[in-house]
Amino acid sequence: MDTDGSVLTSVFLRNRGSPIESAKAGMEDLRIKIEQNEELQEYAIRCCGTTGSARYLTKAIVGGDLAKTEIIAHAVATQSLYPDVSTILEIGGQDSKIIILRDGIIVDFAMNSVCAAGTGSFLDHQASRLGIPIEQFGDYAIRSKNPVSIAGRCTVFAESDMIHKQNAGYSREDIIAGLCDSLVRNYMNNLSKGKELNEPVVFQGGVSYNKGIIQAFERHLGCKVIVPKYNVLMGALGMAILVRDYYLDNATETLFRGLHVGDIEFKTSTFHCGDCPNNCEIVQVKMPQDENKVIARWGSRCGKWEVF
Amino acid sequence: MILSFPNMGRSIYAFKTLFEQLDIKVVLADPTNREAIKIGVKYSPEFVCFPFKATLGDFVSAIKKGADTLVMAIDCGPCRFGFYHAVQERILHDMGYKNVRVIPLDQADLLEFRWLETLQEVSGKHGLFAYSKYVKAVIFFLKKAKLLNDIQTAEGLFRAYERNQGDTTIIVKNLLDKLDQTNNLKGLRNFKNVIKEDFNNLDMDKTISPLRVGLSGEIHVSLEPYVNLDIRRKLGEMGIEIHQSLSLYDWVVHKFHLNYHRKWLEHLSHPYVPMDIGGECVWVLGEYIDKAKAGFDGFVHSYPFTCMPEVTARTIITNKLKRIYDLPIIYFSFDEQSGMEGFRTRLEAFVDLINDRRKQEIKNNAEFQANGNKKIYPHYGDNFYNECIQLLQVK
Repeated sequence: MDTDGSVLTSVFLRNRGSPIESAKAGMEDLRIKIEQNEELQEYAIRCCGTTGSARYLTKAIVGGDLAKTEIIAHAVATQSLYPDVSTILEIGGQDSKIIILRDGIIVDFAMNSVCAAGTGSFLDHQASRLGIPIEQFGDYAIRSKNPVSIAGRCTVFAESDMIHKQNAGYSREDIIAGLCDSLVRNYMNNLSKGKELNEPVVFQGGVSYNKGIIQAFERHLGCKVIVPKYNVLMGALGMAILVRDYYLDNATETLFRGLHVGDIEFKTSTFHCGDCPNNCEIVQVKMPQDENKVIARWGSRCGKWEVF
Repeated sequence: MILSFPNMGRSIYAFKTLFEQLDIKVVLADPTNREAIKIGVKYSPEFVCFPFKATLGDFVSAIKKGADTLVMAIDCGPCRFGFYHAVQERILHDMGYKNVRVIPLDQADLLEFRWLETLQEVSGKHGLFAYSKYVKAVIFFLKKAKLLNDIQTAEGLFRAYERNQGDTTIIVKNLLDKLDQTNNLKGLRNFKNVIKEDFNNLDMDKTISPLRVGLSGEIHVSLEPYVNLDIRRKLGEMGIEIHQSLSLYDWVVHKFHLNYHRKWLEHLSHPYVPMDIGGECVWVLGEYIDKAKAGFDGFVHSYPFTCMPEVTARTIITNKLKRIYDLPIIYFSFDEQSGMEGFRTRLEAFVDLINDRRKQEIKNNAEFQANGNKKIYPHYGDNFYNECIQLLQVK
C-alpha cells in the first residue's frame, strides 16, 4: 500500500500449519511479483505490519514493525471501504468473528472460543463428503427451492442429520442449502448472542465466497449483506492501513528484513523449562546467519523466557 | 497428622497461618500445574465444574507430599460446590488413597461458628484455655488475608505504571515471601507500610494515565493464576490498572456479615437477581454497575466453563445492563485448555477497543482536554487504594 492508501500488490496463500514456511513463501511470491513489475520497483518499503494468530512469530521472521490482532485489522479495513458499517461478519477457515461498530468505533466483538463448528473447515469437510468441489458449494445451495432442516448446534449432530437426510432421499441441493442455514444459525447462537445487528452488514473471510452462506445470512438477518472486493484480504488490508498510519505518525526506521526473507534460514527448537512443576515447553526461533541470535521465544506461563 | 488444602492463588498463605497457629503440621500442595490438572481431569466426572478438577489435582499433589487430612471449604450453596468435599473424598478413596480424610470447613454463615467445630476436630484442642489459641489463629488468618488483599490492590495499581516490565511481579513475590515469614502481631500491623515502601521503590512513569478495568467472576478462577492464564499480570503488562475487590478476605468478611461493599453490590443488583443463586452472580452484576458508575473503561468477567450462576450473570449483563450502563465487557470461560493464542488475541483486541473509546471520550469532553488529555475519574476504592494513589503524586 502506498501513503495515499491504494493497494499496490497483494499475495494470498493458505497457511498449511507452518507459519514460518508460509511467511517465507509469501515473501518469495511478493518478491517475484515486484521484480516483474517496473512500476512497483520505484517504491521503497517503509514499514511492515503483521496480523493473525501467528502475528508475533511472523513479525519476528519478516521483521515487522507492528503486530495487531486480526479483529482490529478487520474492523479498520472494512471501515476504510464502508465508513458507516455497523456489523462485520467474518468466517475464515478455523475461526469466526463478529464485530459491532457504532459511530466508527468498535463497541463489541466476539470470537468463536468453544469449537470450530460454523467455520470454513467444516464446510470443506462436508463438501468432500458429498463429493462436490467447495467452489461449487454455493451454486448448489442457491438452486435449492426448499432447504431441509439440519441440526446446527454441533458438527457431529449436523453430520449425522445430513446422513439421515441423504438416505431419506432429499436432493443434494436442499441438503446443502440446509447446511448453510444451520451454519448461519450456529454462528448466530455462538457469537451474536443477543447483540443488536444493524445495517449495513459486511461479510468477509474465505467463506464469503460461498453464495449459499450469503443467501442464508440475508434470509436470517432480513437485510442486504455486502461482500467487499478484497473479502479474503481484509485482515492484511487493515494491517496495511494501521502500519501506514503508524509510519506517518512516528516515521521510524523500519525493522523489515527485506524481500529476500525467503532465503534466510530459521531454526526452530523447543526445550522444557523445568524450573517449576509446570515444565513449560518453550519454543524458540534462531537465525543461524546472525550468530545464532534468538529472534523469538515464548511458551512459558510465567513470562520468564519471553523474547518478542 | 499432616494437613493440607487446595490452592486458590495466594490464599494459601492465610490458611497456612490459620492451621499452623493451632500447632498443626501443614504441607502445601505444589502450585497448581499441568500435572495436577491432568490428574484432576482424569479422575473427575467429565461434566463437573473446573475448580472441582483443579482442587482434586491439588489434593493428589498434597497427598504425594505426605498429607493425610485435607480441608475443603463447603457451603450449603445453591450450586454444586456444596458437594465437592464428599465426592472428592470418594474419588480419592477409589484412587487407592484409603486413609485420606477430606474434612469440610463450613463457611455458609461464619457467625454460626460451625467452622470452629472443624478447627477443634483437626487440632484436637478443647476447653477454655484452648480458646485463646483459636482467637489468635483467627486474628492471624484475618490479618494475613487482609494484607494479601492489599498486595493485590497495590499490584493492580502499580503494574500499570512500571517502566521495566516484570518489576512489579518481583516485588510481589518478595512481599509474599516476607508475609509468609511474618508470624507476630507487631510485624503484621506494620506490614501495610512495608507494602507501600516496597512499591515506592518501583521505577514508575507517573505521568501516564492508564485505563481502568474491573475484574470479577467466580472466586477460584479469579484468584488462581494457573487457571485464569494469569490474566491480571497480562492485562497489567499491557498498561492497564486492574481493580479486583474479589479476594479471600472480601469473601470471609462477607460471611461474617461485615462486608459493606458487598452489601452495596447486592443492593445494586437487586432489581435483576433478588437473591444469592450461587457463585458470584449477584456480586458480579453489582460490580459491573458499580464500576460503570465509577467511570471505568472496561470490565472482565471470568468463570469456569458450565458454571450456572456466572452464565446467568453474563446473560443479564449482555441483554440488560450493557444497554443501560454501556461499559465494555469481555467474558472468559476457562477450562483445562491452555492454548494461549485465542485468549491473547481476544484480550489484545479488547484493550484496543477500550483504548479507542478512551480517545473518543477525551475528544468529546472539554474537561478532560483541559486536564492534559487525561480522563478524570470519580473518587473510588478502599482506604488502602487511596493511600497508594498518594504515592503516585508527582513531587
